[in-house]
Order: sequence, then structure tokens, then C-alpha cells
Amino acid sequence: MTISTTVSSTISSPATSPATALQLEGICRRIGARTILEDLDLTVSPGECLALLGPSGCGKSSTLRLISGLDSPDRGRILLGQRDITALPPARRQVAMVFQSYALYPHLSVARNLSLGMEIRGVDGATIARDLNAVLELLQLGELRQRRPADLSGGQRQRVALARALLRRPQLFLLDEPMSNLDAQLREELRPQLRAILCGGGAPVVYVTHDQQEAMGIADRIAVLDAGRLQQCGTSRELYHRPATLFVAQFIGRPQINVLQEPDGSLLAVRPEHLQAVEEGGVQVRVVSREWQGASQQLQLDTPRGPLRWVCDGGRTIGDTVRIAWEPRHEHRFAAGGGRRLTP
Amino acid sequence: MPASPSSQPIAPQGRQNPRRWALVALLLFWSLAPMLWQLYTSLRTPDALLGGLAAIGRGWTLANYGQILTSDPPFWRYLLNSTLVGVGTTLLTLLLAIPCAYALQRRGGLQRQLVDGALLVAAAFPSVLLFLALLQLARQFGLANNLLALCLPYAGLSLPLAVLLLEAAFAELPRELEESALLEGFGLWQRLRWILVPLLGPAVASTAVLVFLFSWNEFPIALTWLSRSELLTLAPAMARIAGSSVFSVPYGAFAAATVLGSVPLLLLLLVFQRPIVAGLTQGAIKG
Repeated sequence: MTISTTVSSTISSPATSPATALQLEGICRRIGARTILEDLDLTVSPGECLALLGPSGCGKSSTLRLISGLDSPDRGRILLGQRDITALPPARRQVAMVFQSYALYPHLSVARNLSLGMEIRGVDGATIARDLNAVLELLQLGELRQRRPADLSGGQRQRVALARALLRRPQLFLLDEPMSNLDAQLREELRPQLRAILCGGGAPVVYVTHDQQEAMGIADRIAVLDAGRLQQCGTSRELYHRPATLFVAQFIGRPQINVLQEPDGSLLAVRPEHLQAVEEGGVQVRVVSREWQGASQQLQLDTPRGPLRWVCDGGRTIGDTVRIAWEPRHEHRFAAGGGRRLTP
Repeated sequence: MPASPSSQPIAPQGRQNPRRWALVALLLFWSLAPMLWQLYTSLRTPDALLGGLAAIGRGWTLANYGQILTSDPPFWRYLLNSTLVGVGTTLLTLLLAIPCAYALQRRGGLQRQLVDGALLVAAAFPSVLLFLALLQLARQFGLANNLLALCLPYAGLSLPLAVLLLEAAFAELPRELEESALLEGFGLWQRLRWILVPLLGPAVASTAVLVFLFSWNEFPIALTWLSRSELLTLAPAMARIAGSSVFSVPYGAFAAATVLGSVPLLLLLLVFQRPIVAGLTQGAIKG
């Protein structure tokens, strides 16, 4: 598989073959008395892009370090293809990682940053020259080949880091918050590019981010982590429509989902965009404040059962009283304790 | 409102502040005057030296240089010996200190703190107290009158400080750089050779200069380990010139030796000035 075919192949939904490219089985990781990861199971299909999503400190970067071999798990197995790589040193795992800081070698030019690794791995000179030129062209880095990392912009550094990962010809790409050093506009521009470059080929991608927009924009599936535990793993549709825990329901979707206490102690959650104004029935509410969001507006409502958020397009103003309701299919019910989903 | 000169906070242009330049001139005079006086002395005949500044027009000579360069052994021999010992000491020290500093820095924890504490004590220990014990070792192992053997105690005494300096430099490097190289397939020595040591260039250069200076200036060990005159390093050789006669001190020859002995150091510092200053000003390396 050459780099050019990796890239030129079209973006397609992952093949639904039973084979898994990467499998984590019962991974535990502790540092001292602190539990970083607890009994983590994950599978990634060939060619799939999986996002690890969660707040900072949830264990998503730790997971990446375990897969890459920079840290080792206290329990559990990591399988890459058919190989058990749990005890393999990082250099022999054939994974490429793009670090949050990009970790470009500051004393080397762009071209040397890209070629040095290949030289070390014993790639012959002709192949190095060919691959280097191919990847420089692909990522539009040709004119920057003699520059040092300090003379590059954030977006250019990210492209160099991606190029270095591509040249590794890995069985798996690992990306640790690769967008977090870029400004918001550039992030949105780069998302489809990044997807086209990485997710089109055969090697699967594990992508760590704390930004749900980014995870939904790039990944085929999203694994939501909180406090070292996997909350749910599924497509963004599944996470949005059928969150497995209250945490996922609250983490996915903006503005945040409304949560109401039920008399039996369980929790009822409805997304702000699923509330509707009705003529009769429903709940009587009063508009407390509003925020314009261009096409829609977000209202804060005061109700006998507590405050609610409502996204609507009508011209309500502060002080209005409205009756609102929601369809039963938009209700999510969660258990009182751990917030596990109760509704089917 | 006209700004009064005294209310100006800090003069932005250095040349507009004569007091600052007076201070700089004073400092320069303070440190350079002895050297210039030696240079002056080395170029004067003995009679002219006694005549004072009144006889400034005459009595200039290169005879002092001629004398020490043609004596037996000639003075350049000592310079060569000292250079040999200095280069050997520096290489040996760096060869041992770089891996040691790397290992200590990466290991961390209590072990590192203990070793660092021990190194600090060793670095602070006055080495002059060791020379009798070292002399005993030299006798026992037949290391006397061997220039390369002199590198052993010199490197040993330089190591603690060199390790501490390099350890601090390793700690400055972002860990992700090495991890990135690790994932790319670099082995331990490849990471040191291609990534870490090049990035530590300024720190390695300044450590090397310090070690070389120590070796160049060291006196008691060189005095006791070396007895054959053609093997002497600069410091004991200078002592011999100064103390060659009880009745007359050869000021001119001594001054000429001082000047010649300083030239290699000046060249060394000029060559390494850029990386050292770069190392001081660059600070943290940003990826």
C-alpha cells in the first residue's frame, strides 16, 4: 500500500467485516493508588476511525499511551491485527502517533524531520526520496521542506506531524488532540482534510479529543470515557439518540440536555431541541432569559419542576408564559445511582 | 509638558547613558588590566621594566618569547601537553556524563535524589585535599609520568558537576520528543545521537568548556603526578619558570608564558561563545 493510494481512496463507511484491527481487553491502569483506567474493552475495525471522547483526566490520553506502548497496562491485553502487542516495545508495534504538541524535532528541517525516522528504520535511499516527495506534495509542504519547526505556523506543524505519521506506514494511527493547538476556524477547515488523509486508507485511527463536535465530525464511532470507565461506544447518532448513561446524555449535545427528578428518584432527560410549545396539557413555564444563536434562540425556562433549557425559533420574549411538552420517544430515563439508562 | 531627564524610567538607548558605559569600562578595566599588564611586561626588556613608564619609547623586545620558546623543552611543548590532557579529559568526562545524566534524569524518584545529593557533595569537595591519596594511587598503578593517565583523576573530579549540569539540561527537553522518536523506531543510542544530544548542544558545549578550563588550570595533581620536564602541563611548568632562580625572578619570561598560556583558552571561548550564549538565552525548546 503506497501513501498515494492511502489518500486517494475514497472515504467509505468502514467495512462490516467481523475482523477487528485493534482490540483492548479488560485494560486496567493504576498510578499509585489512583485508578486511571478500569476494565476497558474496545474494538476498532479495519479502516475505522474511533474517537476517544471525554473530559480532561478521563483516561483517553492514557489509553493512547497504552496502545502505543509508552506505558504498560497493569492488567488486560492489547491485540493489533492478530498479534498480542501488550508486552511489545513501542518501536516494534508499528503504530504512528501524532502528539498534541506535534513533537517535531526542533533542530531539524521539515525534510529531515520526515526522513530521519525512515533512515533509522533502514529504508533504502531511493524509497525515502520517493515517499518523502509524495508526502510533501500530498500535504502541500514542498515549499517548506528546508524550514525548521520554529518557523512554521500551527497548521503547518500539524501537517508535518501527520506526514511523519504517514511515512511510518503504520498498522494504526494514534492522534492525541491534534487540533487543540489550532484556532477554531482552522480546526473546522482541517477536519475534512484530516479525515480524507487518515481515515480513507486501510489503517484504523484512534483519535483522542475533548471536543464532541470534532469527534462527531471525524470519527465513525465514538467511545465516551469518564473517570477511567467506558460509558458508551457507538456512532454519534446512537450517542445522541440513545445515550447509555446520564453522563453521555449530558456530554453529547449542546445546549446540555434537561434533567428532571422523577417522584420515584429516577431521572428524566429531554433535549432542549425536543421541547415543543402546545396549546393545552404539558407544563406551564415562564421564560426567564434568552440567548440569540442566529437561526434559533436558547431560552431559560422556569417551571414548577425546576429550570429547563429550550431551543426554539419562535419570537418569545422574557416574561412570556408558555405551555410546553415533548413526545414520549424523546424521553430518556436514567437510574438514580449510576445514571444507567432505564428506557429501552 | 516637557519630560525632565530624571523622570525617564530606563534609557532605551544604551549609548545615551554615559554612566552605564563608565561602569562597563570600569568592569573591563578591572578584569582586563592584569592581562594587559602581563602583555606589556612580556614585551619589555628587564631594564625597561625597572625604568617605569618614563622609558616608554624604547626597550621593547620579543626576547622573552624567544627565550621560553627555545628553552629545553620549548614552551609550546607544555601547551601541547595541556591541550592533550584537556581534550582527553573533556572527551572522557562527556562520554561518561551524558549517559549518566540521561539515566538519572529518566529514572527519577528517590534513587535520583540520593545520587544527586551524593554528586553535589562530591562536586563541592575541595579536590586539593585528595592529591596525596591520588599520588598513592598513581604510585600503586604506575600512572605517574603519563599524560593520558592524568585524564583519569581530572575526569573523575569533573564528573559530578558535569553530570549535574547535563541532568538539568535533559530535564528541560520535552519528553514527547523522545517518545516520538521511540515510536518511530529509534533505539536508545539513536535517540541520544540524533535527537537528545544535538538538542543539548549548548549545554554540552558549556559543560565541555568548564571541564577543559578545570583541566587547563589544575596544579597540585599535575605537580605530583608528573616529574619528567618534557611531560609537564602548563601549571607546573609555569611554577618552574617563576621559581627557576632564587636571586632573580624572570618577570619577562613569566609574563610571556602567561600570555601564551592564555591564547588557547581565548580561542576556545571565542569558538564556543555562540553556542554557550545561545544556550543561555534560548531557554525552553518549543516543539
